Amino acid sequence: MFTQSGMKTISKLAVSSVAMALVLSACGGNDNNNSSGASAGASAGSSAGGEKVKLRMIESLTSDTRTAELQKMIDAFEKANSNIDVELISPPFDQADNKIRTMLSAKEDIDIVEARDLNVAEFVNNGYLEPLNEYTKNWSEFSTVTKTALDVGSIGDKLYFISNGLYQRQMFYRADWLKDAGIAVPKTYQELVDASIKLTDKSKNRYGFSFRGGPGANSVPDTMVLAYNGANVNTSDAMFLNDGKSIYSSPEAKQALDLYLKLFKEGSPADSVGWGFSEQVQAFTSGVTAFLLQDPDVINTLKDGMEEGTWATAPMPTGPSGVALISAGGAGWGITSFSTKKEAAWKLIEFLSSNEQNVEWSKSYGTIPIHSTATEDAYFNDGPYKTLLDMTADPKTFVNYKPPFNYPANSKFGTVSMETGQQMLLGKASVEETLAKWDKFWIDAKAELDAK
Amino acid sequence: MAAKATLKGLKIVYLALHLAVVVFPLYWIVITSFKPKGEIFKLPITYWPTHFSLSNFDRIFTVSKFHIYIMNSLIVSIVSAVAVIIISILCAYVMARFSFRGHKQIMLAFFLTQMLPGFVSLAPLYLMMSDMGLTNTRMSLILLYTTGSIAFSTIMLRGFFQRIPASLEEAAMIDGCSRITSLFRIIIPVMLPGIASTFIFAFVQNWNELFQAVMFIDTNSLKTLPVGMNSFVLKFDIDWGSMSAGTVISVIPTIIMFAFAQRYIVEGLTQGAEKG
Amino acid sequence: MKQRTFIWLSLFPAFLLLAVFTFYPFLRGVIMAFQNYELFNLNNVDFIGLQNFETAFRDSKFLTALQNSVYWVFFSLVFQFFIGLALALMLKKQFRGRGVYQGFVFYSWALSGFLIGLIWKWLFNSQYGVINDLLLKIGIIHERIGFLSDPHWAMFSVIVANVWYGIAFFAIMLLAALQSVPGELYEAADIDGANAFRQFFNVTLPYIMPTIIATTLLRVIWIFNDPTLIYGMTNGGPAGSTHVLSSLLMEKLLAGNYGMASAIGVIMLAILMLYTIFYLFVTKSEKVGDF
Repeated sequence: MFTQSGMKTISKLAVSSVAMALVLSACGGNDNNNSSGASAGASAGSSAGGEKVKLRMIESLTSDTRTAELQKMIDAFEKANSNIDVELISPPFDQADNKIRTMLSAKEDIDIVEARDLNVAEFVNNGYLEPLNEYTKNWSEFSTVTKTALDVGSIGDKLYFISNGLYQRQMFYRADWLKDAGIAVPKTYQELVDASIKLTDKSKNRYGFSFRGGPGANSVPDTMVLAYNGANVNTSDAMFLNDGKSIYSSPEAKQALDLYLKLFKEGSPADSVGWGFSEQVQAFTSGVTAFLLQDPDVINTLKDGMEEGTWATAPMPTGPSGVALISAGGAGWGITSFSTKKEAAWKLIEFLSSNEQNVEWSKSYGTIPIHSTATEDAYFNDGPYKTLLDMTADPKTFVNYKPPFNYPANSKFGTVSMETGQQMLLGKASVEETLAKWDKFWIDAKAELDAK
Repeated sequence: MAAKATLKGLKIVYLALHLAVVVFPLYWIVITSFKPKGEIFKLPITYWPTHFSLSNFDRIFTVSKFHIYIMNSLIVSIVSAVAVIIISILCAYVMARFSFRGHKQIMLAFFLTQMLPGFVSLAPLYLMMSDMGLTNTRMSLILLYTTGSIAFSTIMLRGFFQRIPASLEEAAMIDGCSRITSLFRIIIPVMLPGIASTFIFAFVQNWNELFQAVMFIDTNSLKTLPVGMNSFVLKFDIDWGSMSAGTVISVIPTIIMFAFAQRYIVEGLTQGAEKG
Repeated sequence: MKQRTFIWLSLFPAFLLLAVFTFYPFLRGVIMAFQNYELFNLNNVDFIGLQNFETAFRDSKFLTALQNSVYWVFFSLVFQFFIGLALALMLKKQFRGRGVYQGFVFYSWALSGFLIGLIWKWLFNSQYGVINDLLLKIGIIHERIGFLSDPHWAMFSVIVANVWYGIAFFAIMLLAALQSVPGELYEAADIDGANAFRQFFNVTLPYIMPTIIATTLLRVIWIFNDPTLIYGMTNGGPAGSTHVLSSLLMEKLLAGNYGMASAIGVIMLAILMLYTIFYLFVTKSEKVGDF
């Protein structure tokens, strides 16, 4: 709908005249030279043979340390490939995804994009991403990329991005507090809730659980509901049970959510109804809470902010039947369908995804490496990473499931779950009502998916 | 007499309280900027840094490139503010001096621009800029910021023009000056305070603008200050050390400007506020 | 040069910029309000009439945001205005250190709404927030208050931050207006024996009325339209209890539902236009553009 070419030409003319006037009057035009000159150079570079190719790459999960690390890898790549220049674009984290999708919709000059499990379906639906299956055929290290890493970046049988690292939650706990209170490390959700309540002492401003009722709130109740449903969950369509009903419809779901509510009311700070990532982690590092369920990329934050020996990791808690459902998430590098430099772009992705680079990256940024060979690295066999490997090694207890990223409605569930969940936590809605809302959401979501 | 003294006492108390409330957040940001990283979220809260550290300031100029962002912000904000002053002076002059068909409608259109929720236009704007090849240029921001303050600046400047008797320029025109010359030679100098205050309002607005800057600028070397600061909002936490240091740095130019132009701001607005 | 030519030439640059960069993209955005324009799937974008509007008015979240917008604008404006006016009255007379004092109390105007939202989010935090800590220390409260997590407090807290932000604007504008009141008017009132109170209502207030009308109108529009403070502070939470229309619009936009976002934008514009007409009618002000 945005292509009304007549208007476009008129506005183009109009703007260039105003722009001209402004340049002449005041701004000296130096800004025009360096940027548009750069992009002109980029398109020229792709067509002519021996000239430099200029790649533009945009990241999503931006932070200054991560960007610095990525830039280091890119520098190494440029050194090895003197005919390729890479420009890394790093928008601020909280607006990065919105910027990326806007740039893609305008078919801006972007070759490599960091797609996420959350938005890869959106990008593929709109035809922004190039399938990578053909490219991987000639990649010598492809065989060691783990299945989980490939699954995260695939829609159907097509691979759209190569993960740059995987995320999987585990439990972080205050080893010193547990020891002082004589509490064993919780293995089940029931034990976790009991321990949290026991450790809560409002007068000391100390609480059991780093609760998260704000953005991303659905992760804990969903994992609890999944764990309580246990073997009944359809792991390939994990918002539903084997009998086709949603996971929120079962009596086990009510048990799980009752416990979740208890955890909030008796074992967590009241303020946490609005907490997101940052508050949740901060509460743990600053000694307000004892338990935290999080991805490994907090490891470096914890190492920075806490004394050694005060904290440790454990596998995710299980439900009453002794199983926990786990899944890995991730983000990674994909090639835009409209890139004119796909070969060079793939070359860079291949470089960044090599075992050597990926292991370094995983260490500095705190993610699980994508190559099976990486487990040989002592770094991942020790300390906070070990529990993650332990969980992978015990697939009967820690059952893998496929998150519902293929549902168009999935991206909305986060907000819906957060808001309805907050109503429940604040006593404005009952557990039953809340479960009914979530149940309806997923029944509608399925209908929408099937209609396509 | 006693009543007057009480009144004065009350006034002092009120002004002191007001100052405390307004300044406290600034105080908090300033002391945070000097706290070492570990101390910022340490409990119990410290109201004075246990030891002073410049690491936050060091960080925003090395890891983050604040000197570059400041430069870009200055260029973009000043150029747009100058452009908007030129454009708005012409508009405001015409709107103040002449009555013509469509005059009222134009005034309403200026007000209308203030009512449009800007986020609705953001995506279409991006596609336009992309078509024009203006994405990732300072020019995109200059154009948008200039446009963004036209209405308010025109409304303000028009008020100033109405304060200056038309006889002044008529006299000049009789002396052989053209309308343009008399406008720039005679009227504008008289209006300088008003222009200064309008300039500052426009500058501050541009200096702080975040969402368009994030959307339209890709390259690090072209980013503006608010974008640089927004980068401290991380996945896991807000880097308050850097954020505070950035805030301290970012208010300096505006505070300097306020200090220099304070007389002009109030004086300028004073002229504007006079009723004829 | 003919006068007519001069007039239109002078207006042309502003017209051109506003047409190209303000009105045209807005109209393109408005079209989406009548489409099921969702970024998740751009292949099936169709015109769906008024469906987005119907959905909005049936959504309790939208209705809450609508109601909150009224509180948000009304209380923010009233407190900003009266505190700003009080401050301006006290700063009217020159005193030692007035310049420095003004510099300090006006600086909040130089920060961005987003940043102010972040700062106040931190100040109001129940664990690390200074406000709770101070209140506990003074002994006013004995248990931490979840200023931003308790829906009873949350709207209050964002309004406090907004009041704090906006006082400076009114103080600056009204101070300028006050200083422009000709001294003779007061002298005349003095001779009549009017006390300070009557002087204010009979001389000062009528004189600065046009400024008051214009600034309050503009502020209402700006407060109503600006989501950045709430976006930085609560992002509408908890449970949507601090969403106003502008922040809800932004949430829909970031979630990729451009159709719904635009529909909310259109509703907002309609509300503001109705309000402006009403306001200008009530205040009988035709010359609102005159500051």
